[in-house]
Amino acid sequence: MPTVTIDGRKVRVKKDATVLDAARKAGIWVPTLCYHPAVVGDASCRLCMVELDRGEWKQMITACNYPVRRDIVVYVSSEAARKARQGVMELLLARAPDSEELKELAERMGVKGTRYPKVTESQRNCILCGLCVRVCEDMIGKSAIGFAGRGVDRTVAAPFRQPSEDCIGCGACAVVCPVGTIKVRLHEDEQQVEISPFKSRVKLVACERCGAPVVSELVVAEALERVELDSEQLRERMRLCPKCRKSKTVAGLADVAGRNRK
Amino acid sequence: MTVVGNLRLNGVEDLERMREELLACRSPSSKCVRVCMGPGCAAKGAARLYEVFCEAAEQAGGEVEIQAKSVGCHGLCECGPIVIIEPGEIFYQRVEEPDVPEIFRETVLGGRVVERLLYENPDTGEKALTAEEIPFYKVQKRIALAHNGVIDPASIEDYVAEGGYTALAKVLTSMAPEEVLGEVERAGLRGRGGGGFATARKWRSCRQAKGSPKYVICNGDEGDPGAFMDRAIMEGDPHAIIEGMIIGAYAIGSRQGYIYVRNEYPLSVERLRGAIEQARELGLLGRHILGSSLSFDIRINRGGGAFVCGESTALMASLEGRPGEPRAKYIHTVESGLNGKPTNLNNVETWANVPAIINRGGEWFASIGTEKSKGTKVFCLVGKVKYTGLVEVPMGITLRRIVEEIGGGVRDDKRFKAIQTGGPSGGCIPSQYLDTLVDFDELTKLGSMMGSGGMIVMDEDTCMVHVAKYFTNFLQKESCGKCTPCREGLAQMLHILQRITKGEGEEGDVEVLEGLAELLEGTALCALGKTAANPVISTIRYFRDEYDAHIQERRCPAKECRGLFRYEIDPEACKACGICLKNCPSDAITGQKKVPHVINQEKCTLCGACWEKCPFTAVLKV
Repeated sequence: MPTVTIDGRKVRVKKDATVLDAARKAGIWVPTLCYHPAVVGDASCRLCMVELDRGEWKQMITACNYPVRRDIVVYVSSEAARKARQGVMELLLARAPDSEELKELAERMGVKGTRYPKVTESQRNCILCGLCVRVCEDMIGKSAIGFAGRGVDRTVAAPFRQPSEDCIGCGACAVVCPVGTIKVRLHEDEQQVEISPFKSRVKLVACERCGAPVVSELVVAEALERVELDSEQLRERMRLCPKCRKSKTVAGLADVAGRNRK
Repeated sequence: MTVVGNLRLNGVEDLERMREELLACRSPSSKCVRVCMGPGCAAKGAARLYEVFCEAAEQAGGEVEIQAKSVGCHGLCECGPIVIIEPGEIFYQRVEEPDVPEIFRETVLGGRVVERLLYENPDTGEKALTAEEIPFYKVQKRIALAHNGVIDPASIEDYVAEGGYTALAKVLTSMAPEEVLGEVERAGLRGRGGGGFATARKWRSCRQAKGSPKYVICNGDEGDPGAFMDRAIMEGDPHAIIEGMIIGAYAIGSRQGYIYVRNEYPLSVERLRGAIEQARELGLLGRHILGSSLSFDIRINRGGGAFVCGESTALMASLEGRPGEPRAKYIHTVESGLNGKPTNLNNVETWANVPAIINRGGEWFASIGTEKSKGTKVFCLVGKVKYTGLVEVPMGITLRRIVEEIGGGVRDDKRFKAIQTGGPSGGCIPSQYLDTLVDFDELTKLGSMMGSGGMIVMDEDTCMVHVAKYFTNFLQKESCGKCTPCREGLAQMLHILQRITKGEGEEGDVEVLEGLAELLEGTALCALGKTAANPVISTIRYFRDEYDAHIQERRCPAKECRGLFRYEIDPEACKACGICLKNCPSDAITGQKKVPHVINQEKCTLCGACWEKCPFTAVLKV
């Protein structure tokens, strides 16, 4: 197991663990935006820059995807590393000045505002970290959204900027979005869920007991397909809202308990 | 000259026999007209010229064997279309269709020279009979371009007759893969695509990497504005690339190769496709090459026009069918490249150098150049020089010799200001460093780079802030947008440069630019972003006074940035001809016969029509 020395603290990690893993193990905070443990690191936001000591020179690396293969020495709090991260944050703030999440992270990093004007258009503060795209591809296996355009015109979109036919309305993209750009909207009157801003809409399952919206129909279908378990009970429970599911479970338990008492 | 047909070569002896037969077919009295079909000459109508020569040759038929041949780029694009007549290697320039009958009658049939079509040295008035006598070619040394302009790129027979595939034969019969690596190492060959990484080291790492299959890739996604080095080789000598790749595959242990060519080069694609097809037919590609145990084939993939796909990891992503975006190289591509397998990528020119190195030995190659930069380098010399074109020079030549001896100096007696090397992310080198040697490390020290071989000469009328803005705009548009510093940082830099060139610059702008440049170099994901600030940084370094003039005095010293200078009419020089008045679209000029004209500055929109049209250069930029 190689040893990583971070700001003087030594930690041992498994081979091919990332510098970020090592930093977290050492209890040292490295800011991240496009990182999520569920997907492979993409290192596109460049917010996790740290310095790698190569002896005669130092190299800037991204902590989230630099694989540890031997004993290395890195600096998270060196002047150069801090300056690099703050510089990147300033650029992000210029892009999405209204994002509360970004402002909060900036403050934690010691960045008080940005010197730069807003020169690139962002879609609802989107910082193009790409987590939504990767989650949809790697975890959900749907690739309903992807990147469109390049350079500053890059956006996250469904193909042809039309509502996606592949979207199952699971909302995983909204869950991982670090700046709240993606939202799940319920249209109860139409019994639909919308993934905004992509305008994809999927029919909702209404709770078979109380009629409250549960989850999208396609998610139910996908889940049943993936568990490969032909269980009537499961199928039934997937069509109940959490509240009714719980009460059904409680009632079931009470029933069992009552039987036992007899 | 097809003598071979569909004959498969089952051994090195077959290849030798084929070469002997081809050479035997060449009668000493046979004549050949070589028409340059390089991009420059083609643009000037070389294709039609070739047709006319073919017709003339056909009509002449009979006693003497006359052949018209379309060949690759000769380099002296400025003087195209170029036609060379064998025997004698007589070099005709600026040939037009009406000249064909005379060339045919006088030179091809009569053996006499058509004086008016020869190159004339503008300084001495001397005429040059052959290319060697032209200053443009004198200091050049051709290795990668050796066959360019000599062979018909669509004919494998031509390549074989000129000694093609002898390096492959040598490797297969007498060299172990390790020996090939040793030879390339001795040559000191470094990557010609821009990085300058030691080729042998890359090959060795790939050979030693665990995993199979292993891939070799040729990067033909040349995208620098004004550069066509790789294009010239792909279109003029495609078999040299293929032979280089087969040798590389043998040394590395690969069975599959890819050539990634940008689709904007349709002729390159056609030539390479044809060459691969011919090589397969002869058994030089495919299973058991030349009857040996080596099996290797090549596929062509076309690029969709993104500049960033010239970056190795983006290129591989594109090959895999994913968006052409780079990824981190913490694990090198020689270990995990295409499809996660060991992959060796080299640029077109690098591959084209390999056969010569094997044939003539690494020591010979290493005898050319400087201590750490060996061999030659192909450049596209463009911009404000008298002779623009494609040049191949030995490493270690000074920039001055390229500009002055090859390029003939700056055009229109203007003063030299800077030379931009290395493509859009290269830097601008000022006149005081003109004696710098062409060498990977020397150019880097000056804040520029070798790059893939773009070379743009700028004169006193070029505004360096404007140049920085031009390249920043190019890179900003070509940035894939994946990483924050490149996407946002370049947009911010461009925004500042736009303000400065409009006369809206502010104190501190230069420092902000420098800060952004440092950020990009340190934090961008790929080489495009890491080097994208070079044009800005090098112009600030050497031409800070121009930035200051724009910002502090709202003045463009080169008088290029619109709005930062005025047009005025010199009353002494004005002949009151009225041409400016007639051409002014905003009625800003007043004047009468015999009375010097005047520009009303309030009405003037600075379009420059008067300045362009005045026959007496009486309109001045002030």
